[in-house]
Amino acid sequence: MLNFARFVVTRAVLAMITLIIVSLVVFSLMELVPGDCAERYLAFKNTQGSGISAADIENERIRLGLDRPFLERWGKWIVNAFQGEFGDSCILRVDIAQLLGDKFWISLGLCLASLLLAYSIALPVGIIAAASDNAVLNNSLRLFSYLGLAMPNFLLALMIMLFSTVYFGDTLTGLFSAEYRDAPWSVDRVLDLLSNAWLPIFILGWSATAFALQTVRALMSDEIGKLYVTAASARGVHGRKLLWNYPARHALGPIVNSLGFDLNRIFNELPIVALILTLTEAGSLLIEALARSNDQQLAGAIIFLLTASIVTLNFLTDVLLAVLDPRVRKSIVR
Amino acid sequence: MTTTPDPMKPNMAQTTGPDVQVVETDAAVERRSKEAYFTASQGQLIWARFKKQRSAMIAACVLVFLILSGIFAPFISPYNPTIAGKNDEYTNGAPQIPMFCDVNGCSLRPFVHAVERERSMATNFRWVTTINEDERHYIYFFVEGWEYKLFGFIPMDTHLFGAPDGFVHVFGTDDAGKDIFSRTFHAIWTSLQVGTIGVLIAFVLALVIGGISGYYGGWIDSVLQMITDAVRTVPAIPLFMAVAAFMPPELSAEERFFYISLILGLIGWPTLARRVRTHLLTERNQEYVLAAQLCGASSGHVIRRHLLPSFTSYIIVDLVISFPYMVLSETALSFIGLGLKDPVNSLGVMLQNVTSADVLLNYQWYFIPVIFFIALVMAFVFVGDGLRDAADPYSDNNK
Repeated sequence: MLNFARFVVTRAVLAMITLIIVSLVVFSLMELVPGDCAERYLAFKNTQGSGISAADIENERIRLGLDRPFLERWGKWIVNAFQGEFGDSCILRVDIAQLLGDKFWISLGLCLASLLLAYSIALPVGIIAAASDNAVLNNSLRLFSYLGLAMPNFLLALMIMLFSTVYFGDTLTGLFSAEYRDAPWSVDRVLDLLSNAWLPIFILGWSATAFALQTVRALMSDEIGKLYVTAASARGVHGRKLLWNYPARHALGPIVNSLGFDLNRIFNELPIVALILTLTEAGSLLIEALARSNDQQLAGAIIFLLTASIVTLNFLTDVLLAVLDPRVRKSIVR
Repeated sequence: MTTTPDPMKPNMAQTTGPDVQVVETDAAVERRSKEAYFTASQGQLIWARFKKQRSAMIAACVLVFLILSGIFAPFISPYNPTIAGKNDEYTNGAPQIPMFCDVNGCSLRPFVHAVERERSMATNFRWVTTINEDERHYIYFFVEGWEYKLFGFIPMDTHLFGAPDGFVHVFGTDDAGKDIFSRTFHAIWTSLQVGTIGVLIAFVLALVIGGISGYYGGWIDSVLQMITDAVRTVPAIPLFMAVAAFMPPELSAEERFFYISLILGLIGWPTLARRVRTHLLTERNQEYVLAAQLCGASSGHVIRRHLLPSFTSYIIVDLVISFPYMVLSETALSFIGLGLKDPVNSLGVMLQNVTSADVLLNYQWYFIPVIFFIALVMAFVFVGDGLRDAADPYSDNNK
């Protein structure tokens, strides 16, 4: 038990360190943007007709604390970020926590749902494929996996949208129907979300499934060739029992370990899918912030939150692994 | 005359004359093939194993074809891919498939029909393109057209094919009248270039960082690994987007191109660095390294002369595997509008053009470059996979 507690604490500390390094990277990127928040605030004022001077900008900088040294501002940002406070958006000038609010959780929910979808397909199919000698099945799975990588998911989204527009006369965009868009959360609103969310979940899950399938199949076919499986089958264990109790249990560890990277991959596709399906969630906010308004505060906050959820998932899978496998508990550093 | 005996041929020196038929025993054949196996260089072994994989070989052929068509893009394309080569008379034009027969009879030389554009009271004052079945534009090979520089320095104006007395658009034209066929092949070349520069930058960074980490080990390794892992956890595309968004908007097309490649390289290194480190960690404890160190070789010498050659083949495989990700990232960036922009022809720019509903419903030939894009990525992935299997010395045992 003590071993386990030590393991969890070490992992938590490592995760924190990772987050701090990430925050440094993200914060430096935000600093690299030409122009700062003070200039942006006042540029807006300028468009409203009131003239501005260099002194005004300087005053605004002092008000926002932008005249402090880099390390101090970074420290302040990271301390606030861990409390869920990201300050005000440069362009929209509203509190970022408020602006993101539900949207971030919706995005995270979408991504986790597609991760779930990916593995609920990949685990059984991958194990069956690894166990069977059927060349046609294996080759077609391989082709499908590679197509998942090579076929851009926006293309898939476009095809499905075109199909539904032409044949059902229904555009599958957005996450909410019109009447629920700004409504407060209720059971009906959740149901409405679910009825619209299947398409982004399917599209995000498409390439994730392909990757997961490949991982599961490769790990399983490595394990199946090993001697302990032969020994078990020599003892008379066979069929599904042999597969699930012997190689599948060994392959489970690396699969759980790879979950964090799968989430990373899904986040990669989130902005593009959001752009095509005109979703109103964090992915589209990110594109909005980066490609159109150059809102470094908002973009930094979103990237930080995405990474934080990956780090959290990595931490959780590490703990899960330690629960599953006593060998992991003993080795604190890999 | 002494020549080294070719292990693949019977040893002629043992025979008495040229007329004697050499009959070998099975044992000799087997011995010779074993000899060939044991004396073969690593490259020959990898090639031999690679050749056995059918899917990888097909992919390699496709890949070579695509790369060659990228290199010779100006020669293959009948028209200038930029706005200079536009056909004003035929915007958003459907692909013209060369044919041999029409209502007026057949000809041995393929031709396309001429098109005419008209705007009048009869067409409700919209431009309407009609095909004139009576006028033929014959297609000739090796015609002279727009001037270009092959490989960047040989000035030429000969093109693979063209219609000297009109236009021929095999893949159709886009909304400005630019030839999609010409644009596609130039786009392949641009995307390959971006990918190559990106991979090279990532590779150099990975070699330095992974090399230091793996060779020295200890706390240097721990710190570097922590940083590498942290960079790896940040989702790459949002990070690409963030860096690309800071690109000054007044950059010229060429500067933008290099900036994008630089970004791809600067963010793509962690995965490669990790692989380099793993290779080094396993190799540096080998006895030949210890022997070199005992002989007084410096660290740099050991790394360059002993360690690097030991896993060159693995590094090449890793580079091929990471290549499609570079192309995909470039495409994603350009697609969002943060990467290359329209006057430049890259696959991402071409893909961006297909997203409007107008294109989906009316101008499906915009999708032709997508096929090339998928083929390129698939070819790279299959070749990378085949190379990885071929470079693994234990893969023979399983087959």
